[in-house]
This record gives sequence, structure tokens and C-alpha cells, in this order.
Amino acid sequence: MVEITESPLDHAALVERVRHANAGAVCAFLGTVREMTGERRTVHLEYEAYAEMAAGKLAELEAEARRRWPVIEIAIAHRVGTLELGDVSVAIAVSCPHRGDSFEACRWLIDTLKEEAPIWKRERWADGREEWIHPGLEGR
Amino acid sequence: MTVAAVVPAAGAGARMGRPKLLIEFDGRPLIARVVATLADAGVAPVVVVAPPPDVPEGPPIAAAARQAGATVVVPAARPAAMRDSIELGVRELDRRDAPPVAVLIVPADSPRLDAAVVRRLIAAWRERPDRIVAPTFAGRRGHPVVLPWRPALAIADLPPDVGVNRLLADRADEVEEVVVSTDSVLTDLDAPDDPGAAGGWTIRLFAVARERAGRSEVSVALPSPATVGGLRRALAEQHPALATLAASVRVAVDDEYADDARPLPAGARLALIPPVSGG
Repeated sequence: MVEITESPLDHAALVERVRHANAGAVCAFLGTVREMTGERRTVHLEYEAYAEMAAGKLAELEAEARRRWPVIEIAIAHRVGTLELGDVSVAIAVSCPHRGDSFEACRWLIDTLKEEAPIWKRERWADGREEWIHPGLEGR
Repeated sequence: MTVAAVVPAAGAGARMGRPKLLIEFDGRPLIARVVATLADAGVAPVVVVAPPPDVPEGPPIAAAARQAGATVVVPAARPAAMRDSIELGVRELDRRDAPPVAVLIVPADSPRLDAAVVRRLIAAWRERPDRIVAPTFAGRRGHPVVLPWRPALAIADLPPDVGVNRLLADRADEVEEVVVSTDSVLTDLDAPDDPGAAGGWTIRLFAVARERAGRSEVSVALPSPATVGGLRRALAEQHPALATLAASVRVAVDDEYADDARPLPAGARLALIPPVSGG
């Protein structure tokens, strides 16, 4: 199950969704809005997605994780719009027969999502400045 | 108490040498997709103002719209401007025994028109039926706009050389803005066709690319055979604000990342994908 949504993420429901009698392990990852980045203070974040493509990418990630690990269920949800400090921006839950696979699959899913999914965040800093975050593009 | 729609489709341009409104999206001509999306959102009737019968794209556009369930108005001669097409559509509705309570004005060239957005705009209008309702994204006003019937009738009273945006400007205190989370509402009803639109390609922009261009999509003309590499060069030349990004960031063709050698299929969905930062 993959989802791009404006609504707050119900991470407990996401975990429930993957819990299964054949699973011996459920791993969940939440990405949350952090206040401090070094010395800089975030007021809030705004996420934007190329929604059609992002949903397709997340579905591809799910399929690839199922090829690599003995996954029983996967749920991936990413929120877009304005998020306040502490809000959940992304939630991933994976169930597998054993914990090693579910840890690895969950880690791979969030790492790959961050590289591949066409989703962007805009920082609103406490000093009033706002900027899109584009790793590797600084100053260009 | 129905909300109707007027879809001015008499003057839309060409893309890749084909009339834009006949290019297929989701397996049907664009004009049919727009009509079906409106019907899906509960809009009735949908009045499409087609090109005149003596231009080549006229009869197929009229037929596609009719088949999708629209009421089609076929003018004898091509209306001078989009606003004239809208006026013809409103007049058609006015001829009916029961005119609608409100009219959506929907640019025909809206491949990303979303039934959920349309339903939301109508719901917002029903809460305050004396208001004109317009969607906004990232602080910019878009389409479609919901006009209560009385201001819709006033389109006919606008001076001949101004567009429907003037109506909204004149009645600024009656306009209710609804913030939506999709830039699909940003197409400009009164803007002339993009210079690149004839034989051109549309590229969607996100994040810093949208910010630098000041809009959510741009058009470019491309030599054929069109490739991703050619698209990068054309973007840099025709939209200098995007030159740095066009040279360095990923390009998506039909929602997949594509390398520079990739040919562009006719009607491909194109997007510039600056380095991503989700998660």
C-alpha cells in the first residue's frame, strides 16, 4: 500500500495494516519535522510532490523490496502540504517472518525513497527566510 | 439546482502538429476527458463551444465532446477571443427554461482537470452562493472559476477587448479564494497561447524550478526527433531562467527518469525534477 496524502499520517493504523499472523517482525520508520538543523531553527516545512510520479515510484519501491526480502506486507505513506514541528512527514511499515529482513527492508525503503521519489521540502526558517531543499544544487 | 459548465474550445492551439484538444489523455481525446471529468464531479449540463464546422479540427472536436455527453455549440465563425466563446456558452444556457444556478468556466486545454478539485470548488460555492469562487495554488489564482449565474450573464456586458479576468477584477470583493494543494489549477484563461505551443512541448516544473520560472509549466519548441537532451538545450535557450537547472537536473518522461538519449513520444508527460528532498 502506498499513499501520498495531505492528511495527517495515522502511523498506528499503518503498522496495524502490516501486522500479520505469518510475520514474526514488524519494523516501522517515521520521518518527523525537526526544529534544529545545526544552529538554524525551523518554523515549519512545506512538502510538495509530483503526485502521480511519486505514487508510481513508491509502488516500484514496494515491488522491489518484495523481490529482495521475504516481505509479507508493506505500507508507505508520505504527507504533503504544510507540516508543523514534530509532525510525521513519512511513515513506512514492513512485516517479515524475521526481524533481520524487516529491519533491512525498512531501512532500504526510506533510503531509496529519499533518493528517488519526486517530493520536495521547503524550509521556513525562524529568521524569516524560506528555501527549497535540493541536495547537491546549492548555489547553482 | 444544477451547476453548469462552459468549456470554451473554439480557439485552442496545436501541439506536435495536432489540435491539442484531440491529443489523447488516458486513452481519449483531451476534450472528452475534460467533459467526462466535469460530469464525474456532478456538473450538468456541460456546454462546449467548439470551433466552426469549416476548420479541420472543428467537427472531430464537436463529435468527441458530444460523445462524452456535452451540449455542443458550433459557432458559424471562429470567435475572436476565448471570452467570446464563453459568452456563446452562457447564451446557450440562458436559452433554457431553467438556467443554472452557477457556471464553471473551464479552459478546454486542462489535461490535469481534477474532479475532486471541481467538487471542492462547487461545495465552497454552495456555502456562499453569492460569491465567485476561484482556486489558488502557491498564492496564484487558477481555474476553473465558479460564477453565480448573475455575474455569468454580465460577461456579455464586458467591453469587447477585455477578458473574463476583468470580471473577476471588477468584482474583487465578491471573489472567494479556495486554496488547493495541486498546481493543476494554474492555467491562464486570458493568456495567449504559448509561443512554443505550436509544434511544442509542455514541461511541468516543481519546487525551485517552478519558483525560478514563475509558473508551474512552460512550453518549448523542439527540433525532431525530440530527445531528452534536445529538451534540455531548448529549455535553456527558450527559458533562460531555467538554464542551470535544465543542464543539471533529472528529466522525467511519462513519470520515469530518462537519460539524454531517450526519444520523446508524442504527447509525453514531461517534468523537470530538481534534486529531491522528501522523507
